[in-house]
Amino acid sequence: MIQFKNFVAAFGGRKVIRALTFNLPANSITAIIGASGSGKTTLLRALCRMNDRVKNFRVEGNVLIDGMDIYRPDTDVYALRRNVGLVFQKPCVFPKSIFDNAVFGVKEKMHRKEYPDLVEKVLREVFLWEEVKDRLGEKATTLSQGQQQRLTLARTLAVGPQVLLMDEPTSSLDPKSTAAIEKLVQSLKSRHTILWVTHQHDQAHSIADKVLIIENGQIAPFETPVARPEQSSSFTRVLQNVQEYPE
Amino acid sequence: MAEKMVRVLIGCITFLIVALLFSILGVMLLKGLPAMHAGFLFEESRDFGRAGGVYYQSIGTLILMGVAVLWSLPVALGSVLFQTEYLDTGKLKTFLTQLTYILNATPTILFGLVGYLLFGVYLDTGVSWVTGSLILAVMILPTLQVSIREAVEALPEKYREAGMALGLSRPTQIWRIILPQSFYGIVTGVFLGLARAAGETAAIMFTATTFSGIQFPQSFSDPVPTLQTHILVLAQEASNPESIAQAWGAGLVLLGLVFLLTLTAWAFRARVVMESEL
Ligand SMILES: Nc1ncnc2c1ncn2[C@@H]1O[C@H](COP(=O)(O)OP(=O)(O)OP(=O)(O)O)[C@@H](O)[C@H]1O
Ligand SMILES: [Mg+2]
Repeated sequence: MIQFKNFVAAFGGRKVIRALTFNLPANSITAIIGASGSGKTTLLRALCRMNDRVKNFRVEGNVLIDGMDIYRPDTDVYALRRNVGLVFQKPCVFPKSIFDNAVFGVKEKMHRKEYPDLVEKVLREVFLWEEVKDRLGEKATTLSQGQQQRLTLARTLAVGPQVLLMDEPTSSLDPKSTAAIEKLVQSLKSRHTILWVTHQHDQAHSIADKVLIIENGQIAPFETPVARPEQSSSFTRVLQNVQEYPE
Repeated sequence: MAEKMVRVLIGCITFLIVALLFSILGVMLLKGLPAMHAGFLFEESRDFGRAGGVYYQSIGTLILMGVAVLWSLPVALGSVLFQTEYLDTGKLKTFLTQLTYILNATPTILFGLVGYLLFGVYLDTGVSWVTGSLILAVMILPTLQVSIREAVEALPEKYREAGMALGLSRPTQIWRIILPQSFYGIVTGVFLGLARAAGETAAIMFTATTFSGIQFPQSFSDPVPTLQTHILVLAQEASNPESIAQAWGAGLVLLGLVFLLTLTAWAFRARVVMESEL
């Protein structure tokens, strides 16, 4: 459960998120829609304190995850970031092997004998295993953009986060991989609380339990996918068809 | 019109610099080569440097340089990582950066003097290679610091962020991302530092070296002979053509050493560029 209470995020004097108050139930998918520059990425980054290094960034109000205020001074930010995984808008793999990338976040936490099983598990979860199982030792930079995006998702899942923040994870994917990721996200819902930023209304309405629209740093009135099913476009139907035959 | 003039001017200056470099190289070769003989690099100097080779002098120079880098590298690396990874506020960071630049511009004779006063007079440790390498270490610290910091800061921010988002602690982040990704830049810095140490005479003259009659240092309090001191002393014997010839020879060896180090640094820098384009 994630709670925002009068949450403000600002760069210097410019408030990007203003007085945000809302709750996200656990084990649900929430889509966030908003114009470019409306503060979607800022909101996600605030949730895992990624802006701590940014000079004039400041917050007001509270963000609580499972009742704990994440901006309290005694918060263990490293544990927080392991619990709240962020998948970036642009995939950033390390110039290392695919295998090393998949276990990058957990190397110190487990014995090396456990690596191969974990790698297979997370790569299967993101539907990448079949494509790369014979080339795990190759540099991850040789993968296509879409494959890299799925690899970064696998890398995040390997750490075992409870909350998953995804910043337009399908913007560089083809319809098939997009559908695969959407299906994957739905399967992750039982174990994770998911925030999904997207520009596509159709996608938001077809996968999310709740759709939030950000405007001027605030949330426009809630819309739920059930509220406007008749508006689903032909593109959604294409996607839905694809979803039935993902492999 | 004005642009053309500027271009001509810049062309002239470039030509002058290149010409200067080549004439120095030419003179060094012309004067130094006659002193070179089969064993110049591997023979002991004899007859107060007037004959023989520069074996122990070369070794002494290498010892001083190498040990100086050994002292300096951990300090430089540590202070860079402290600045880039642990300091979040801007002011202290800027101050430390300015400090390194000032230190870098300090005339080296001052390091020599301060070192001499501190070790030679105040602590009375005598002339030894340990003292000399410590002073050299302080002297090349800014060079190392600046080039290592450039390497670490050139690291794309996205790698840092990706590591952060995975919840890596700062030491893990440094060990797994920062150091491997800026490795070649750090090596470049080390070679530039070595080259700077090799070109140095003033700072070590009073504290670490003696002219002739010694070979390998046997203890921590022994001095070493170096190419730099060798050249300096021989060059003062203007009336003796053999000494002068030997000095040129030793100069050529030193120049070759610095050249080699700089080339190696370049080679590693090229790798850095390739890495960052990944
Ligand atoms: N590090 C920063 N320093 C200053 N301002 C920033 C910083 N990062 C983001 N901003 C500003 O915050 C605002 C919101 O940016 P944000 O990246 O959150 O938008 P977004 O909704 O994710 O846009 P897009 O859909 O294009 O990704 C923008 O006006 C941006 O200029
Ligand atoms: Mg964004």
